Amino acid sequence: MATSTQTEDVTEPAARASWLRRTLTNQQVVLFVVLAALIIFFGTRNSLFFQTGEFSNLLTDFSGLVLIALAETYVIVAGGIDLAVGSTAAVSGVVAAGWIQPLVNAKVNEALVLVVGALACAAVGALAGGFSALLITVFDLVPFVATLVTYSVGAGLALVISRGAPVGYNPGAIYWSASGIGMVTWLVAIILVISIVLGVVLHLTAYGRYTFAIGSNEFAARAAGIAVRRHLVSIYVMSGVLAGLTGMFFYIRSGSGAATTGVSNSANLIAIAAVVIGGASLTGGIGRWAGTMLGAAVLTIVSDGLIFINVPPTWIQVVVGALIAVAALLQTFRRRSRRLS
Amino acid sequence: MTTTETRTPVLELRHINLHYGSVEALHDVSFSAYGGEVIGLVGDNGAGKSSLIKTVSGVNSADSGEIFVDGQLRHWRSPHDSMVAGIETLYQDSGLAPDLSIGANIFLGRERRRGGLLGRLGFLDQRAMEREALEQLERVGITIPQTQRTVSELSGGQRQAVAIGRAIAWAKHVIILDEPTNHLGARQSAEVLKVITSARAHGLCVLFISHTLPHVLEVTDRIIVLRLGRVVRDAPTSQFTVESLLAAITGLSE
Repeated sequence: MATSTQTEDVTEPAARASWLRRTLTNQQVVLFVVLAALIIFFGTRNSLFFQTGEFSNLLTDFSGLVLIALAETYVIVAGGIDLAVGSTAAVSGVVAAGWIQPLVNAKVNEALVLVVGALACAAVGALAGGFSALLITVFDLVPFVATLVTYSVGAGLALVISRGAPVGYNPGAIYWSASGIGMVTWLVAIILVISIVLGVVLHLTAYGRYTFAIGSNEFAARAAGIAVRRHLVSIYVMSGVLAGLTGMFFYIRSGSGAATTGVSNSANLIAIAAVVIGGASLTGGIGRWAGTMLGAAVLTIVSDGLIFINVPPTWIQVVVGALIAVAALLQTFRRRSRRLS
Repeated sequence: MTTTETRTPVLELRHINLHYGSVEALHDVSFSAYGGEVIGLVGDNGAGKSSLIKTVSGVNSADSGEIFVDGQLRHWRSPHDSMVAGIETLYQDSGLAPDLSIGANIFLGRERRRGGLLGRLGFLDQRAMEREALEQLERVGITIPQTQRTVSELSGGQRQAVAIGRAIAWAKHVIILDEPTNHLGARQSAEVLKVITSARAHGLCVLFISHTLPHVLEVTDRIIVLRLGRVVRDAPTSQFTVESLLAAITGLSE
C-alpha cells in the first residue's frame, strides 16, 4: 500500500517544532533551571543557606508536601481533584495520636508505637478517601464537590476530636524525627522511598497507564475494558492513605496531633499548586512525577528561602500565586505552539 | 437476500427488535455479513443506524432477536463482551485517549506486561508495545514514524487511521466504523478508505456507517439501507448509483 503521502502528513505538527523550542517549552527542564536559579539566588543572598542544617530543613519541609502532591498528581491525571488531603492529614493525625498515646504512656518500644501510628493514620486516611470515592462513583458528585465535603467533614471532626488542642505528647517521636544519616533523616528517607515508588507506578505500570487513560478519555478507557469506577475508587483511597501518612509525618515532627495540620496552611491548595507548576493539566490525562517533584521542590525552596532572606512570611502566598500563573502561562504557550505549527 | 454464500457468516442478526419506550427503533432487522466483506450501512437520521450498531456492539440490548458471531449465539452484557467475541467498534471521534502515545492507544486495555516478577507487579513492556504497534499499523498500510508521539499531536485523518488500525489489529471478525470520514478533508478521507480496503484484505468484515454516499459506493461490496428502523434494501453495491441510493434512503424509490 502506498504510504508516501501519509508519511509526509505525519510530520505535520510537532516534528517541525525545533529541538530548542521543545526543550524550552518542556516544563520539567524549565523547572529544573528555575530550581537551580533559586538555590543560587538564596545561596548568594545568605551564605547560611548552604549549611547542612538548612538543607536538612528544606528536605523535611519538602517531605511534608511531597506525598500529598503526588497523591494529587494521580487524582488530577485521572481527571479529578482532591481538596480533602489537608484535613485528612489533620484528622488522621489527631485520631492516631489519641489511639497510640496509651502505648506511649506504657513506654512501649518507640518504633512499634510509630508503626502502629502510621497504620492508624493510613486507615483513617483510607476511610476519608473511600468516602470521597463513594460520593463520586456511586452518588455521581463531581470530584470538586465530593472532596470539598470530605475536606469540611475532616476538618470539623479533627477539631471536635482534639477540642482545639494538641492531642497526646510523644517526645520520643520528636527525638526520632531528627535521627538519620547526615542531612537525611530516617523520616525523610522513608518518604522519599515512597515517592519513588509512586513515580515508578505512575509511569511504568499498567495501573499508571490506566490512570492516564481515564483522565485523557474516560469513554475510550471504558470501551477498552478498563474498570474505570474501581480504578477511581483506588486512586481516591490511595490519596487518602498518603494524606494520612502526611498526618503521621507531622505527628512525628511535633510529637502530637493537631487539628490545624494541613488545614491552617491550606496544604491541599499547595499540593495542587505543586502539581500544576509541574506541568499537569487540570482537565486530566497530562502530568508527570518529575514535574510534581520539581514543583514541590520549587515551592519549598521559595517558601523557606524567602523567610531566609527576611521577606515577611505574609508575602510568600503572593509569590506562590505568581509561580502558578507563570506555570499555567507556560503550558498555554506550549499547547498553542504545538497547534500552530 | 442476494447472497448465495455457503460459508458461516461472521455476523448474523435475526429478527432484531428494539424500542426506546414507545418509539420503535429497530423492527425485525435481519442480515448476514461475511469475512472479507465491506458492508455500507446507510439511512436518514433516525433510520436506526446508531441503534443497530449499538445493539451489535453491546451498548444496547435488543428487546428480541438473536445475534450470532461466527455461528455462535451471543448475548452482550457490556460493550466489552462484544470486543472479547471479536467485534471492534469505532465510535465517532471518541475511541482514542489523546494524551497517550499512539502505541499506548493501540494497546489500551490490552497492555503487554514485562516478563517474570516485574510483569506480575504490573510493569509494562513499553518498548515491545511501541514496536508491535508500529508493525500492526504498517500491516494495514499506516506509516507513523514515531509511535511514542501522543495522539493529540496527529491530524484528524491520522487519528482516524490509528483508531481504525487499532480496530483491525484486534478484531477477529467484525469492525464497525461509525462515520469514520466525518469532518475529514478529501485526502484524509482517501487514507481512511484505503485502510478500510486493507481490513477487507485481512479477511475482516467491515460495517461502514456513513452519510457520505460517494464514499459508501467507493469502498463497499454491499449496501444495507435502513428506513424507520427497517431494512428496506440489501443488495450488492454494483446495483446502486448515488441517485438510486438516495431514493432508497428517502423512500422515493417505492
